[in-house]
Amino acid sequence: MSFFSIKKNQEIILSTGIIALALGLALGASGISSEAGYAGIGPNFLPLLVSAGLFLCGGFLLWEAWSGGFRNGPDPDPSEGTQEKPFWSGMAWMSVGLLLSAALITTIGFILSCALCFACAAHGLRQANAGPSQRAQPQSIRSWVVDTALGLAISAPVFWMFTKFLSISLPGLTKSGWL
Amino acid sequence: MDILNHLLAGFATAGTPVNLLWAFVGCALGTAVGVLPGIGPATAVAMLLPITSQVDSTASMIFFAGIYYGAMYGGSTTSILLNTPGETATMVTAMEGNKMAKSGRAGAALASAAIGSFIAGTIATIIVTLFAPVLADYAVRLGPPEYFCLMLLALTTVSAVLGQSTVRGLSALFVGLAIGLIGMDQITGQARYTGGVPELLDGVEIVLVAVGLFAVAEALHAVLFEGAVKESENKLSRVTMSASDWRRSLPAWLRGTAIGAPFGCIPAGGTEIPTFVSYAVEKKLAKGENLAEFGNQGAIEGVAGPEAANNATVTTALIPLLTLGIPVSNTTAILLGAFQNYGIQPGPQLFTTSASLVWALIASLYIGNVMLLVLNLPLVGLWVKLLKVPKPQLYAGILIFATVGAYGMRQSAFDLVLLYAIGLMGLVMRRFDFPTAPVVVGMILGPLAEAQLRNALSIGEGKWTIFLERPMSLTLLCVVVSVLVLPRVLKKRKIAALI
Repeated sequence: MSFFSIKKNQEIILSTGIIALALGLALGASGISSEAGYAGIGPNFLPLLVSAGLFLCGGFLLWEAWSGGFRNGPDPDPSEGTQEKPFWSGMAWMSVGLLLSAALITTIGFILSCALCFACAAHGLRQANAGPSQRAQPQSIRSWVVDTALGLAISAPVFWMFTKFLSISLPGLTKSGWL
Repeated sequence: MDILNHLLAGFATAGTPVNLLWAFVGCALGTAVGVLPGIGPATAVAMLLPITSQVDSTASMIFFAGIYYGAMYGGSTTSILLNTPGETATMVTAMEGNKMAKSGRAGAALASAAIGSFIAGTIATIIVTLFAPVLADYAVRLGPPEYFCLMLLALTTVSAVLGQSTVRGLSALFVGLAIGLIGMDQITGQARYTGGVPELLDGVEIVLVAVGLFAVAEALHAVLFEGAVKESENKLSRVTMSASDWRRSLPAWLRGTAIGAPFGCIPAGGTEIPTFVSYAVEKKLAKGENLAEFGNQGAIEGVAGPEAANNATVTTALIPLLTLGIPVSNTTAILLGAFQNYGIQPGPQLFTTSASLVWALIASLYIGNVMLLVLNLPLVGLWVKLLKVPKPQLYAGILIFATVGAYGMRQSAFDLVLLYAIGLMGLVMRRFDFPTAPVVVGMILGPLAEAQLRNALSIGEGKWTIFLERPMSLTLLCVVVSVLVLPRVLKKRKIAALI
C-alpha cells in the first residue's frame, strides 16, 4: 500500500471518529434537561450545538479525506521528510513508562514511579535517537542504570520541593511521608 | 494621578522581598522553558497550577506572569542558536536570527532580541498601565449580550482565522467546548456528561488537558517521529552590538512595538500575524546593503522588529485578559484558569475588587522586564548550556514534571491515565495538523460564554434579537462576520488577480 493511501485511510478513520464523537455527544445531550426558564434555552442547548457543529466538521473532513486529503496542510517540512517511519517500539516504551507510573504511584510513591517512568521513556527516546541502523542492538545495562539514577536525581528534589515548600501532597514511599 | 497612586501601591506590594523572589524565580524559570525545546510557557504554567491551592494569589500571579513573558525572552535564544524555533512566536526571529548566527553574528542577534524585548515589553507595560483601567471603566457598562459577542469573537479568531485550515480549527474548538461542558452547568447546576463519576462534577482540570496536549503529546511525537532529526547548533559570539547595529535596531524595535501592541489588545490573539507583519515591514523599508543581508547573512532589523512585536503583543494581551476576562492565547487561557482557581473572575470589576492584586501584577511586569534584561544579556551563556541537554533526558524529564502537575492537582492516579489519553489525542492532532490552542481556549471560555449567552437571552426574554437591538453587540457581531468572511474574499480576489 502506498504512503498516500495509508494517509487517506487514516484521515477517513479520523473523520469518522469525529462524527462518532458528535453522535455520542448528541446522545448524551438527549438526557440533559431542557428546562429553559427565562432564557428560552436550557442546559441542553450548548451540548446540542456542539454536537451539531462537530458533526458538520467531521462530515466536511470526511469529504476532504475522500476527495484528495485534508486541505491546506502544513508546508512540507524538510526535517520531517527525512523521517522514514514512525518508531513504534519507542512509543511503546514511553507508554509503558507513563502507564506503569500511573498504576504504581500510590503504592511505590512518587519518586520511584517517576524514576521508572523516566527510565522507560529515556530508553525509548535513546533508541529513537540512535537511528534505524543501531536500533536493533540491545542497550547496555549501564544506560539503564544511568537513566534510573537520573530519574531519581530529578524526581527526588521535585518531590521535596513540592511537598515541603508548596505543601502539595504527593504520595511518599512510606506512610510517614518521609520519602 | 489616580493611576500613579495605584501603580505606586502596586510597586510597594510587588517590591516586598518575597514577591521579588517569586518574580525572579518566575522570570528565570520562564527563560529556561523558553530556551528548552519541547516545553513552552503554557505547559510550564499549567504544570505549576497546583501551587494555587497553597500560594497566595498575588505571589502566584506574579510568578506566572514572570514565566509568561520570561519564555518570550528565552524563546529567541533558541531560535537564534538552533535551527529549530522553540515556539511559534519566535519563528520569524529564527529566519534572520539563524542566518546571522551562521555568519558569526549570534551575539549581536541575541543582544538585539533581548534589548528589543525589553524596550517593547516596557512600552507595552506602560500601555497596559494607562489603558487597562480606562477600558475596565468602560467595560463595566457592557452587558451579557456584549460579553457573549466578545467571547464569540475570541473563539472565532482563535479557531477559524489563525491556523491553516478553518474546518480543522473549528473541529478543535468544538472538542474543547465539549470538554468544557463536562461537569455542572453554571446556571442550573445540572450535571452534564459526568457519567455518574463524582470527580467529574467539577469538570476536567485544565492542567490535565494543557499538559497532556502540550507536554505529553510533544514527548510522544518526539519518540515517534523525530528520532533521526539532527540539529545543528550555532556558535555563540560575544554579546555586543556595534554602533551601526544600534542605529539599525532602534527604529526597528519601535516599529515592531507599534505593530505588536495593538494586536495584543484586541481579542484576535496570536503573535504570528504581528511578527510576520513586522518582518515584512522591516524588509520593505531596508535599502541597499541592509536589504541584501535579508535572507543571506541575516539582517539585524529582521530580528529586532519581530522580537519587539512579539513581546509587545504578549504584554498587551494582558489587557483583554484583565479587563474583559477574555484570553486570546494558550498561556493567557491558562492564566485565566489560575485566576479561577482563586475564585477570582477577571473582568471589569477586577480593578475594583482585586485592585491590589492587579496593580502588583502590573508593577511586577516593569520589575520583571528589568530582571529579564539582566538574565538574558550578561547571563545568556548560562542559558545556552541548557541547549546541551540531550533530547532523551529532556523529554523524559518533562514527563516527570507533567506527572507532578497532573497528580498534584487532585491526587488521583486515574488522572494520570487520562493525561496519557489526552497526550495520545494531542499526538493525533499534531500529526494531522489540528491546532491545539482552540481546545484549551474553548474549554476555558466555553462555559463562560454559555453563561453570558443564557443571561443575555434572559434579558431579552428568550428573544435572539436582543443581540441585534443593542448597538455595541450588533457592531461586535459584524466584526465576527467580517473576520470570517474578509480573509476569504481577499484570497479569492488575489487568486482572481493572478489568473
